[in-house]
Amino acid sequence: MHFSVIQIVLLTILAFIKHVDYYGIPMLFVNYPVFWGLFTGILMGDVETGLLVGGTVQLMSLGVAGFGGSSVPDYGTTAIIATAFGTVLGKNAGLAIGLPVGMLGVQLDVVVKLLNGFVVKRAQQYANERKFKKMSAITWLGPLFFGLSAAIPVFISVTLGQSAVNFLLDSMPAWFMSGLTLAGKMLPAVGIAMLLNYMPTAKLLNYLLIGFFLAAFLKVPIIGAAIVGMALAYATYKREEKDSQIKGTSVIAANDSSIGEDE
Amino acid sequence: MIKKKQEYGPIVTKKDLRKANYRWLMSVCTFNYQTQQGASVAYALSPILRKIYKNDDDYVKALNNHFQYYNTQPWLAAIILGATVAMEERQGLAAKDTVNDFKIGTMGPLAGIGDSLLMTMIPTIMGSIAAYMALDGNPFGILLWGVLIGIIFFLRMHCFEFGYHQGVKVVTQYGDKLNYLTTAASVLGITVVGSLVGSVITVTSPLKFTFGKVAMQIQPMLDKILPELIPVLLVFLAFKLLKSKKLSMTWVILLFILIAMFSAAFGILK
Repeated sequence: MHFSVIQIVLLTILAFIKHVDYYGIPMLFVNYPVFWGLFTGILMGDVETGLLVGGTVQLMSLGVAGFGGSSVPDYGTTAIIATAFGTVLGKNAGLAIGLPVGMLGVQLDVVVKLLNGFVVKRAQQYANERKFKKMSAITWLGPLFFGLSAAIPVFISVTLGQSAVNFLLDSMPAWFMSGLTLAGKMLPAVGIAMLLNYMPTAKLLNYLLIGFFLAAFLKVPIIGAAIVGMALAYATYKREEKDSQIKGTSVIAANDSSIGEDE
Repeated sequence: MIKKKQEYGPIVTKKDLRKANYRWLMSVCTFNYQTQQGASVAYALSPILRKIYKNDDDYVKALNNHFQYYNTQPWLAAIILGATVAMEERQGLAAKDTVNDFKIGTMGPLAGIGDSLLMTMIPTIMGSIAAYMALDGNPFGILLWGVLIGIIFFLRMHCFEFGYHQGVKVVTQYGDKLNYLTTAASVLGITVVGSLVGSVITVTSPLKFTFGKVAMQIQPMLDKILPELIPVLLVFLAFKLLKSKKLSMTWVILLFILIAMFSAAFGILK
């Protein structure tokens, strides 16, 4: 299969925009695969594949977010590459190419953050040398590096990849492809576990059970579970507020009584 | 609530704060392991600081103060940075330490609220809704999420002004309320995550045992013990591995891909 030069250029630019957006400018679609799958689908003239791939990768990546500077797989890039190849080769073949490149995103992310260390040091140096224009200008290397860290892998995948990908897909054993499909179904477990690790799960275990019961036994869709969750959240908020008021008044009461004893 | 006419100080104008809001979009773009978002803070505030500090020496001192380590959820950080502008406008470099304490003191709580509510809860809930609709070829869920993103962006673009007027008050007076909000958001989040465990992971076992003439399928037996038993076990395994901190998330993901290859090859799971 071959991508046209225009397609290659547009896909590379899309990946660049995606990552600059991801890191702040303007941080709208924060690498959410379902958006980038759709955008790639529109670019390739195949919205259906874009939705299908984007939705699949979005579910794989639920709960995966880099906090406090941790680096996570670049599922947005996975969505772009998988959609681009998927329009011709189908979703599974697309994912087989896009997923490994997305995993590589972890290493590239670390490299950019190391490079940025030099950039900001230089920026501060310029500030101390009173070269204020240069200080502001060099800061822009940050978003440039981040953009390239997604644009380059996409560019390489869709250009050099063409013949290599065909060879790769032909030589891939059947278990590898079916394994990747299964991995797609299993990976949401990691994201969910990540969320559970990050949230006060032990303290709020009862709500986890309620949510699970709604979905597994009653087959309530996620919006339904969210509505129940909102009701429980509202009750929690009211209770916490009330508890602190009681605590507050009892402190005042205790103070009053101690004053009384002094007299 | 009576809407007061918002007043601006002798130096900083509404336009300056708007500009800072745009420049703060740089936020995580300069992320590095030494000062994290520090350089972006300096970049965002530099035009305002230039107006406050006419003298080059003072300006450099103020810049260096903001070049220091800073890391929190960038959307909410704009409120704090807006508040520091108000402090420095009034007191100049005398406010340097207060500004620092205020910034560092609010870093943790803001990251707590922002990361759980804005960066986890919304993408998890909206993401799963949008994804399921997308799998049916329906872009409506994405559109819905897009509208929410638009609303949040509009609010974000006013955070500097809000912080300039209200920032200190909000953080000191409503600190408790923000805590309850975080707990309430966690309740909503965990309920949704519980439902995700029971719906998103669609792994079943095609295993079959044959004893003579009787063929026994595993999956119906598992379903009798607990519906979605395999997904529960997978989440539990990932949870334990992540909790032990022996494996990073990347390695857990790679391990799961390997398990998938193995299970698919031998027909254990599908």
